[in-house]
Amino acid sequence: MQPDDIKSNILTTTLESAVNWGRKHSLWPMPFGTACCGIEFMAVLAARTDIARFGAEAIRFSPRQSDLLIVAGRISIKMMPVLIRIYEQMPEPKWVIAMGACASTGGVFDTYSVIQGVDKFIPVDVYVPGCPPRPEGVVESLIKLQKLVETEKFSDYSTTRGK
Amino acid sequence: MVQGADQPMDTERMVLNFGPQHPSTHGTLRIIMELEGETVIKGTPEIGYLHSGFEKLGEYLDYNQYITITDRMNYLSPLCNNVAYALTAEKLMGLEVSKRTEYIRVLMCELSRIADHILNVGMLAVDLGALTAFLYGFRLREDIYDLFEIATGTRLTTSYTLVGGLMRDIPDKFDEAVIKVLDNVDVVARDIETLLNKNRIWQDRTKDIGIISKEDAISYGLSGPMARASGIDWDIRVQEPYSRYEEFDFDVAIALNGDVFDRYLVRMEEMRQSVKICRQALDKMPAGDVMVDPDLGFSLPPKDEVYNSIEGLIYHFEITMRNRGMTPPIGEAYVATESPNGELGFYIVSDGGRVPYRVRTRPPSLMNYSIFPKLIEGHMLSDAPAIIGSTNVIAGELDR
Amino acid sequence: MLLPKIITKVHDKFPSATLDTTQFAGEDIIHIQGSYNLDVLKLFRDNGFNFLADITAIDNLTLGGFERFAVVYHLLSHETAERVTIKAYVPEDQPELPSAESLWKTADWQEREIYDLFGISFKGHPNLIRIMNPDDFQGHPLRKDYPRLGRKERDDFPVVKRGINKEAAQ
Ligand code: SF4
Repeated sequence: MQPDDIKSNILTTTLESAVNWGRKHSLWPMPFGTACCGIEFMAVLAARTDIARFGAEAIRFSPRQSDLLIVAGRISIKMMPVLIRIYEQMPEPKWVIAMGACASTGGVFDTYSVIQGVDKFIPVDVYVPGCPPRPEGVVESLIKLQKLVETEKFSDYSTTRGK
Repeated sequence: MVQGADQPMDTERMVLNFGPQHPSTHGTLRIIMELEGETVIKGTPEIGYLHSGFEKLGEYLDYNQYITITDRMNYLSPLCNNVAYALTAEKLMGLEVSKRTEYIRVLMCELSRIADHILNVGMLAVDLGALTAFLYGFRLREDIYDLFEIATGTRLTTSYTLVGGLMRDIPDKFDEAVIKVLDNVDVVARDIETLLNKNRIWQDRTKDIGIISKEDAISYGLSGPMARASGIDWDIRVQEPYSRYEEFDFDVAIALNGDVFDRYLVRMEEMRQSVKICRQALDKMPAGDVMVDPDLGFSLPPKDEVYNSIEGLIYHFEITMRNRGMTPPIGEAYVATESPNGELGFYIVSDGGRVPYRVRTRPPSLMNYSIFPKLIEGHMLSDAPAIIGSTNVIAGELDR
Repeated sequence: MLLPKIITKVHDKFPSATLDTTQFAGEDIIHIQGSYNLDVLKLFRDNGFNFLADITAIDNLTLGGFERFAVVYHLLSHETAERVTIKAYVPEDQPELPSAESLWKTADWQEREIYDLFGISFKGHPNLIRIMNPDDFQGHPLRKDYPRLGRKERDDFPVVKRGINKEAAQ
């Protein structure tokens, strides 16, 4: 084999970026759709804004099989323990998107029973504004998240993932 | 012969927790099921996972502000909620809205009904394993979303009505866009029916499942398609017409068996009737204003006036300020409307202040779902998604 | 018109039950004593008002009324398409009245809701537990003296940190 051939036939990269590249294009979302935003999330899945174009169409309703939690909708005090449990059941590495005003801040529901933003209790990576966000907004958040996944470091998982 | 093969197998009663986070529970329903083998002995629904204090919030927001909250109640057909709430507030205040307003409201309500039913049928199909019907339906729903976006500015949370009228008139050429979608409804409905109606699996999984008798339907307070599929001839649009429904010519879809399949058929037929109503509304659309006379003190002035004249600005403040604004007389009003799910009623009590004293929603989902324990008894576990799907429970409305 | 006849019947049969009958915006409202609610409701049901559309309650703390709480029944007649509102008043110190579950099954969940949100209990209800709020919730949020923002229930959850939670694994 000529040295020139070797150059054009071998790709060198770090293991880390190869793994991240793989992860980035195969996010498996677990939609935690509770309210109106859940309906808009369905629109993201449906034909027009087909989320499969970004490799995230493998919707899994089991937390143990997914690495992206999408909280879509308001979370009530009765639901919060369930959400925490589901987050804890997801294997590392995992990411969270808070979709919509309610999941991010409580939105219009400043009442006794609505959690004022899930980020008070579980870590959130990307927030999507809107009430409800347009499907395009969700796609944008997914692209943002992919950028984030690209920069992950293995060392982060060993003990605690740095913020 | 294997020893004991002729005897029935020993089965133990098993308790299965279904939900609240399960794909076929539509988000937030939880059912605790007692199973014997695969047969459900008892199903106890647990609700409240989306309780967000709507009614408490109603005591703090004024009459127009609360309209935004009603969007988020039944998020499959928010416009119907808007209209129901506006009608109640108008009854309380004794307002008469213009004929054009009422026609536009009818048009929007019927479009929402189509969007609601198509999604419901689609979801039912997904839960039973027929993804195609969902994708067909959702494409149509997107088209209707587009119509809402043209008219109201948003896809889902429309807040299109105001007390005394509408936020704004429908734009020019809106009717052309609507007609295009309406033509499409018939096509999609036919497609879905060809896919499902004679499908063996679909029939096996929906026929004779979850049968509701007429007496039960009344005792459990069912309304809408659920009651009509059990042979109750009751449609508020016909029997107690509001918003000039009496001027439209349409049929009420009724079925007699009261099973999942019949509820599906009723919904499909209602979509066709809604198309009919929409066409009539467009044909007969009267001219006029879409807001009551500003001198009555109920309507916000046009934004042009607010930005460009001092009177307009003062007037705007007069209406929106804490200690001013529209104040209905002391009293109470209940208005029932035919939402896609059934009787959607609002009950407002006023103490004469600028915020309601109490706002209550009569959520059709709550009543329609309350019969579930009775329906699931004795059925297979796999029938649960079919029954839930056919009741069309919307958690936002169920739990408020 | 069914209504006038039934109202006279109520007056005749249970003279001490009715407190008042009023009208607002074309709606008839019958105010009755809480303890008579089953008798009156049964009379209405047997005379054509076959459908219980809605049950709710009002806390009359600042509105005024015969008693602190009123349980409101909206009845509908499928025959004549008439509606009527019945308000049954219950005192603050003993918020209890008979359950309508024996007349209409739909009362089951709705009475639970009233019990949860208003703290009014229903005698003879088969399963009177909270329905909207968690079982360990304190107070009754739709009472007027309950703050809208609650009493810190919504801030009271464990915070989950990023990374593998070592304590949880053990
Ligand atoms: S953000 Fe808006 S659309 Fe989304 S769940 Fe909350 S209220 Fe509904």
